[in-house]
This record gives sequence, C-alpha cells and structure tokens, in this order.
Amino acid sequence: MYRWDFAPVLAHADLLAAGLLNTLRVTGTALVVGVALGLALALLRLSRRRLASWPAGFVIEVFRTTPPLVQLFWFYFALPLVAGIEMTPFMAAATTFSIQSAAFFAEVFRAGIASVERGQWEAARAIGMTRPQALRRVVLPQAVKRMIPAFMERAIELMKTTTLVATISYADLLYAANEISQRSFRPLEAFTVAALAYFVVIFAASQAARRVERRLAASGDSTVR
Amino acid sequence: MGHRWDFASVLDNHEALLAGAAGTLRLFAICLALGLALGLLVGLARSARSAWIRLPAGAFVEFFRNTPVLVQILWFYFALPILLPFEVGKLAAAALGISLNSAAFSGEIFRGGIQSIEPGQWEGARAIGMTPAQAMRRVILPQAVRRMLPALTNRAIEIFKMTTLASAIAYVELLQQGRLIASLNFNPIEAYTAIAILFFCCLWPLVRLTYFLERRLARSD
Repeated sequence: MYRWDFAPVLAHADLLAAGLLNTLRVTGTALVVGVALGLALALLRLSRRRLASWPAGFVIEVFRTTPPLVQLFWFYFALPLVAGIEMTPFMAAATTFSIQSAAFFAEVFRAGIASVERGQWEAARAIGMTRPQALRRVVLPQAVKRMIPAFMERAIELMKTTTLVATISYADLLYAANEISQRSFRPLEAFTVAALAYFVVIFAASQAARRVERRLAASGDSTVR
Repeated sequence: MGHRWDFASVLDNHEALLAGAAGTLRLFAICLALGLALGLLVGLARSARSAWIRLPAGAFVEFFRNTPVLVQILWFYFALPILLPFEVGKLAAAALGISLNSAAFSGEIFRGGIQSIEPGQWEGARAIGMTPAQAMRRVILPQAVRRMLPALTNRAIEIFKMTTLASAIAYVELLQQGRLIASLNFNPIEAYTAIAILFFCCLWPLVRLTYFLERRLARSD
C-alpha cells in the first residue's frame, strides 16, 4: 500500500502560489483583450458590408475550429519567424488565448445583440440617434445583461485552457506541479495538489456564475447561450 | 515578411503525418465511444431517485467539469501508475483523461435531454405495461437523443480538439508529429500551419453539420 506524504510537496507551496498567480495573470490578460477584441469582431461580423463581415467571420471560425494547443504552438514557434519578433511564453500565451477567446466572445456578443428586439433599434433611430449611438445607448446595455451567464462560462473555460501554457514552459500552476514532482519524486501528491487547487478556484467561480444566473433568471430577463 | 513558404518539406514527411493522423483518429474514436457511453450512464445516474446513486454521480461531474483536461491527463500518466501495480501507457492515460472529462460534460447533456421529455411520455409508456428500463430505451431516449444531437456533435468537435493534448505526454498524434517534422527540418512555420489546416479541414464539416442540426431543431420544435 502506497503511503501518501504531502510534506515534500507543501514545502514548495511558494512555487505553487507563484504558479497560480501566473495562471490568473494569463487568464486576466486574455479576458480583458478577448472581450474588447470579441466586441469588435462581433460588430464587424454584423456589419452590412461583406468586406468587413467575411474576414471577421473567417477569423472567428478558424479560431473556434482549430485546437487551442495548435494555435499556441503556431504563435510560439512559427509567428516569431514569420514576423521576425521575439516571443516570450507569456506573450505567445496572451496572444493566443486573447484571439481565441475573442472568437468565442464574438459569438456571445452576436447572439446577445441579435436577441434585442428590432423595435428597440427602430425606436432609438426614430428619436434621432445614429446607429452607433443606438448601439451604445440602447442595444448593448440590454444585450450585455443577457450575455452575462454565457460570458462567465466562457471565462471559466478560458481559465482551464490556460493550463496549455505549461507545454511551452510558462511557469503556471501546472508547470509548477510538474517541477515539484521532479524535484521531490512525488508525482502522485504533486499532481493531486495541483488538481485540487484548480478544482477549488474553478468550482468557486462556477458556483458564483450559477448564483448570478439564478439571480438574472429571477429578474425575468432571458439569457443567451 | 520575406519568408518563402516551403510546404514541400512538410509533404516529404507524409508518412509521419499519416502515423499522426492514425493516432489522432484512434484516440478520438476511443474517447468518443467511451465518453458518450459513460456520459449516458452518468446522465441516468444523475436523474436516479436514490441519493446513493445521484450524489456520487454529481460529485464526479463537478470534479471533472471543474478541473482542466491537461491536469487530468498528466495525473493519469504520472500519478496513477504509483497507485497501480502496472504501467499506464500514453494512449491509456490520454484516453482516460479525455473520456472521463467528456463523460462529465455529455452526462449533463443526457440529463438535460431526458428531463426535457414531457412526463406524459413516461406515464403513457408505463400505462401500456413497459418497465422503466423499456420506457427509457423505447420511448424517452429516442426522442431525447434527437433533441440532444446538436449538443452531442458539439461535444464530438471538442473531443477532437482535445486529442491534441495527448502530445503533452508524447503520444503520437498529429500535433506531436508536426512538432517532430518542425524539429527535423527546421520549418516550424510550414509544419504548424499544415497541422492547423489539417484540423480545420477535419472539423469544418462537423461544425457545418452542427449548425445545420441546430437550425433544423429550431424549426421543428
């Protein structure tokens, strides 16, 4: 019978904490850039001009239908050679996950904007607002509220996806666990602690998302998926 | 931007790519079959009346939905063999991680699908003398699966994308072979671009199929 011993792993708790911080850093960066870029992509895709809507649709489909790990490798190993720039693992991860989550957020924004009744547009235009004004003042505020559950679900997916950066040697939580397992020869405890750490953080986020969703459902607004 | 694209160096290694494609497809087929079959069991267990069945199934779903797949694969590859008297191979570790993860997600799809069927269907099936198992198999599931089809094809797409994670434990699949080709021929641009295009070509038809099923379902319901 194997004797569990977490002491050698917990002796490196500082490494794990630094790893968790780096995980949150990548997630936060990709979330902020991804939402802004996602809104831009969604507006381009909803545009009436094909010259704007087709390239946006292409970017969205490509990033939704190729595996994130392939994208990460492309941005880390191939892009620096194409563009002649230096790429740190953090930059590669932030770029990949920003664009990838932008593609998913764009679809959420699009569904949200499309779910707002036509009458809202027409009324805003009738009282003399321009299209951008109507979008900013009337449509988006209503759409955003409906998008919140889908948005939070996506953010949680994003955090799970960031574990991929460990494969390009960025010191996130998973990478720290791998490091500790090699130093202490205790892979079972090291990876179990990492799995539990992820579970605690992500489960808390999921529970918060569920609570918000129930609250929104109680306030009587429909939500989009 | 003066790069001269040279895909010939990638195509020279078509045997390596074919071996990778075979590895990807093998892993995909195993995970799809196991993930959906286990998912159905989990979905049924979560709608069971007895708390002894319902609660463990719920815990399983919560745990596997709320931890990253890559962590699960590495756990099965590096940590599980310590508890077991035998080795866990690369294919087995990757298949375990991805299958159990998809079982948790598809379990929720099955549960939602089964719950969406009107209680009258149950009552009708029971009234004409079917056992609960018969009612489930002959009446409820055929209707539920039709409604779940878009969500299930979506899951299949996700599983296909997840197979790339097996490259983290050096299982021979497409991305792993792309990495090999890139390191042999110093052509990461072409190698990774080719891999991305291959995945896009495999998954694009599935994505279109999902859109089509979603539209048809929206029309018929």
